Amino acid sequence: MRTKLKPKKLQSTIMAAFSVLSISILLVLGVMVYVRVSASSGQDMIRSTQKLMEQTGENLEDYLVSMRQISDAVYYNVIKENDLSNQENSIRQGMNLLYEANRSRLRSIAIYNPYGSLVAAEPVALQKEDPDVTKQDWFVKAMGDTANLHFSIPHIQNLFDDDTKRYYWVISLSRVVELTDQGVPFTGVLLVDMDDTGISRMMKKINESNHGQYYYLCDGSGQIIYHNRQVQISKGIAYENSEKTARYKDGVYDDTFEGERRKVIVNTISYTGWKLVGIIPEATFTHGMRDIGYFIAMLILLMAMMLAVINRVISDRISSPILKLQRSVMEYEAGEKPEIYIGGSLEIRQLGYSIQRSYEQIDALMHKIVVEQNERRKSELDALQSQINPHFLYNALDSITWMIEGERNDDAVFMISQLAKLFRISLSKGRTVIAVRDELQHAKSYMNIQKIRYKNHFTVVFEEDESVYDCCMVKLVLQPILENAINYGVGDMDGDGEIRVTGRQEDGTVILSVSDNGVGMTQEEVHLVLSDSSRIHKHGSGVGLVNVNNRIQILFGKEYGLSVESEPDEGTTVAIRIPAVPYTEENRKSLEKGRLFIASKVENKE
Amino acid sequence: MRENGKWIHIVEAGLAVTVLLLAAVMLRQKNGEDQKKVAVIMENSDGNHWAAFRYGLKMAAQDEGVELFIVSTGDTMTQEEEMEAIQQELDNGADAVIVQPVAGDSLGQELTKLEKKSSMMLVGSDLTIDPGTEALPCVQPDHAAMGRALAKEVLSDYRGDLSGKTVGIVRKAHEIQAMDSRLAGVEEGLENTGASIEWIISGALKNEPRVDLVLALDDSSLIAAGECAAANDLHGALVYGIGNSTEAAYGLDTGMVECLIVPDTFSEGYWSLVQIAESIKHPFRKRNSRTVPYTVLRREELFTKENQEILFTMSQ
Repeated sequence: MRTKLKPKKLQSTIMAAFSVLSISILLVLGVMVYVRVSASSGQDMIRSTQKLMEQTGENLEDYLVSMRQISDAVYYNVIKENDLSNQENSIRQGMNLLYEANRSRLRSIAIYNPYGSLVAAEPVALQKEDPDVTKQDWFVKAMGDTANLHFSIPHIQNLFDDDTKRYYWVISLSRVVELTDQGVPFTGVLLVDMDDTGISRMMKKINESNHGQYYYLCDGSGQIIYHNRQVQISKGIAYENSEKTARYKDGVYDDTFEGERRKVIVNTISYTGWKLVGIIPEATFTHGMRDIGYFIAMLILLMAMMLAVINRVISDRISSPILKLQRSVMEYEAGEKPEIYIGGSLEIRQLGYSIQRSYEQIDALMHKIVVEQNERRKSELDALQSQINPHFLYNALDSITWMIEGERNDDAVFMISQLAKLFRISLSKGRTVIAVRDELQHAKSYMNIQKIRYKNHFTVVFEEDESVYDCCMVKLVLQPILENAINYGVGDMDGDGEIRVTGRQEDGTVILSVSDNGVGMTQEEVHLVLSDSSRIHKHGSGVGLVNVNNRIQILFGKEYGLSVESEPDEGTTVAIRIPAVPYTEENRKSLEKGRLFIASKVENKE
Repeated sequence: MRENGKWIHIVEAGLAVTVLLLAAVMLRQKNGEDQKKVAVIMENSDGNHWAAFRYGLKMAAQDEGVELFIVSTGDTMTQEEEMEAIQQELDNGADAVIVQPVAGDSLGQELTKLEKKSSMMLVGSDLTIDPGTEALPCVQPDHAAMGRALAKEVLSDYRGDLSGKTVGIVRKAHEIQAMDSRLAGVEEGLENTGASIEWIISGALKNEPRVDLVLALDDSSLIAAGECAAANDLHGALVYGIGNSTEAAYGLDTGMVECLIVPDTFSEGYWSLVQIAESIKHPFRKRNSRTVPYTVLRREELFTKENQEILFTMSQ
């Protein structure tokens, strides 16, 4: 079942439209800004992480290079320059000098013979009872690959007993060196142990300044050298995919680990193949963007608040004059008839003016219609009155009586037959429009009766074209004209009075004229005949030519009607002009319903 | 129009409230959310034997995002002093307390009472409480198993035959449950092995009668026994023990100690703090007791990769 929506008010519609539009734009803008800033912030974070890692990588390389430089210095400046047999002190002094110069970073410098026996060490310390260095990783690697230097991963130094009951984490740099004893060269292993705390400190420092990202260091095989959660990882509490990461070359990678997406940045450390790895979990990006997200959301809300007010003002400004106009129209329709509201923008003003003009025109038309209706009613009453003029009837019947008493039976029969025709046409089944033929017949009957009554004091001549017979005619318009011609024209003349009734068609117009050779009228009187409806008629039915003229114009239009021409002592001619509308049932009904005919229509109808 | 006006006011009010809420959230984030505070109270908190434990706590605090306070305490602490320290930490705003219980008859009852007000967690040792009362959750090694493992190592050195061997046992002075369990474990392990326990003491070893084997049940006793052995005050007795400090490891490294059982105090610290931090974040989550592992160390295996990690945590 369809639910009918209640029509919305104009202001609500405008506000809703503006609000939806502005909120949509705000949301799209907000999302676009967020996405743009988010992408840019992510890139910035990656760039800054890369920069930090490059810096740290350089520091680590410097650290390792310094180890290498110490090792080189011990080898080339101390070991190669001295013989163990007689220059042991020089060797010790040289090693001591280098140790003291790098004390903050160094844990120890030691030289071992190929069997693992200690040859020299700095600082001088008691060697552990049986450290068995030959099994230690740094020694094995050095002896295994004599051409290179070997960096170990951080491990506990298991060589000396300094009585502090502590264990030191060191990074060992070992290499095979050529020792000389009594001029006989032999290979040995030079070990430089550097304090691991240097690297730990560097790594801790970069791990402190972050918002979720972290960094770790692993060797080429993925074995972790430093990790913030190193112990947790070794105990299986936490996990790191360092083995996979170790296989990456330098660069930025997308990675998923334990269901979390993250960016992995890899930087390889020279000499060692160690990998400095930076991890930026996806949550870090979103965490960094949370504040911006809140800020954008707040901005959108504030703008929405502003827009709500602005929208309301704008919609009010737009709708207010329309609403005022609507109210004034409604009040007008309710009959209170105030002035139509004129105000607001130019368009609304013009609309107001138009409505006002329309109403004024409607008022005028209404008034006109009322007047016309009144006139029509009056004319019809007049026509009715002319149909049943009792004085005329009395005179006619008196004449018949008189004829019968005088045994003029033929005349009486003629009179009665004329009277019957007159009344038949007068009634015409209640029709207003009849054929010209009938109207002329009515006029003839009337004049025949009047001639007998006036004892043939005047003559009547009918000259009509047959072409006018079948045209439409307003009923009983000739009778009052003939009545006037008798009463004011030829009634008092002694036998030489003449009334001539003619009928012809000219250019689609039917012209019926009634001319008499009576006393005539002045021009002033002629003017009054067709304009002064308040004239009191001295004779006849009292139906004036004004009313006859009105009846014709109501049916056929203002361009038709009566025209009067008269000269004193010459006579009067009253012409009736009506359109030549063929007398058909359809045309008759149309005319009686008040539809006007124009010339072109008449042609079409034919 | 009037209806429109009403709606616009409602919408404006709604938007204004949302803006204020957002601003509050932003301010709160800017100032940082209040970190939960966890206090840790243990005897001789600065002692080396707590190094791995402290490191475990620190790592867990970092992982869980809580603020950690390790209360500085003296070498020994009475039950009253411990209760006073706990109360003081709670008064200072601690949301939870991790306690290593000291010896005392009523400590269990008092801690149980406090547990109703704020989260409590025991480490290192259980407490004896009234029957019917729910025990406080505790993270600790299986003390009895460590005692048995110690006895087992002794036996393995003597191929399972300790006939005629005399044993002296040294332990902490305080009568806490952990020590009792370890002792029970040792006694169980030595049962029917032919070994006779000559003495069980707390304190100086010098004047004790000569024995073949000295078993130390805690870190400080082991260090003391190792030092006595180094000074030849034990008349050649071999030392075995339970310890968790670099000093104890050093004793093993230098041959003063034959075998060292090391409880995983890193895990003890880590899991105790994780559990209590989780209980603060999720008040309805139940805290469970947890047993941490231990490792048997021999001199020749002291520097293997795995054992280096134990030394690493002890060295922090």
